[in-house]
Amino acid sequence: MTEEAVPVVEPNAVEEPLDLVRLSLDERIYVKLRGDRELRGKLHAYDGHLNMILGDVEETITVVEINEETEEEVIRTIKNTAEMLFVRGDGVILVSPPSRTGA
Amino acid sequence: MQQPPIQQQQQQTSSPTEFLNNVIGRPVLVKLNSGVDYRGILSCLDGYMNIALEQTEEYVNGQLKNRYGDAFIRGNNVLYISATKLRE
Repeated sequence: MTEEAVPVVEPNAVEEPLDLVRLSLDERIYVKLRGDRELRGKLHAYDGHLNMILGDVEETITVVEINEETEEEVIRTIKNTAEMLFVRGDGVILVSPPSRTGA
Repeated sequence: MQQPPIQQQQQQTSSPTEFLNNVIGRPVLVKLNSGVDYRGILSCLDGYMNIALEQTEEYVNGQLKNRYGDAFIRGNNVLYISATKLRE
């Protein structure tokens, strides 16, 4: 029987960027997506593409409209909710645990 | 531990990988293709140029828009990573 030295890996250490995502499993996270979209939800699963399964999701879409009369920019937000959501990874810009962002 | 000033390190930089290894743990400015800037401490990065930042500040059109304790940035969005001086 061989006894190999098993490297001691600190489970909470962030050694590669995806560790940040791994440590957010089962936590509510904030996701910034392309097209001025934001998601807040509980991270159930993810993969290396940043495909993600989120639960109890709130989506916020930011739209800048121009009032034709005054030509003023009006920023409008649209909110959607979803019980469960699959997010395709290529739309992801940023992922952050929201508890630490005050969100 | 006292690290040498960044100028000295830059003189030693002879490859992109070496530069990135030198700036881990240092304050950086990450610009995305969209023009949005992120300032923070570079925790680590990987071969896709996915980035983990600490104490992250998000700047849109030069204005501070958001703060994140930790932030993961997907590598495909990254335009450049710049070593910066410590924030006052």
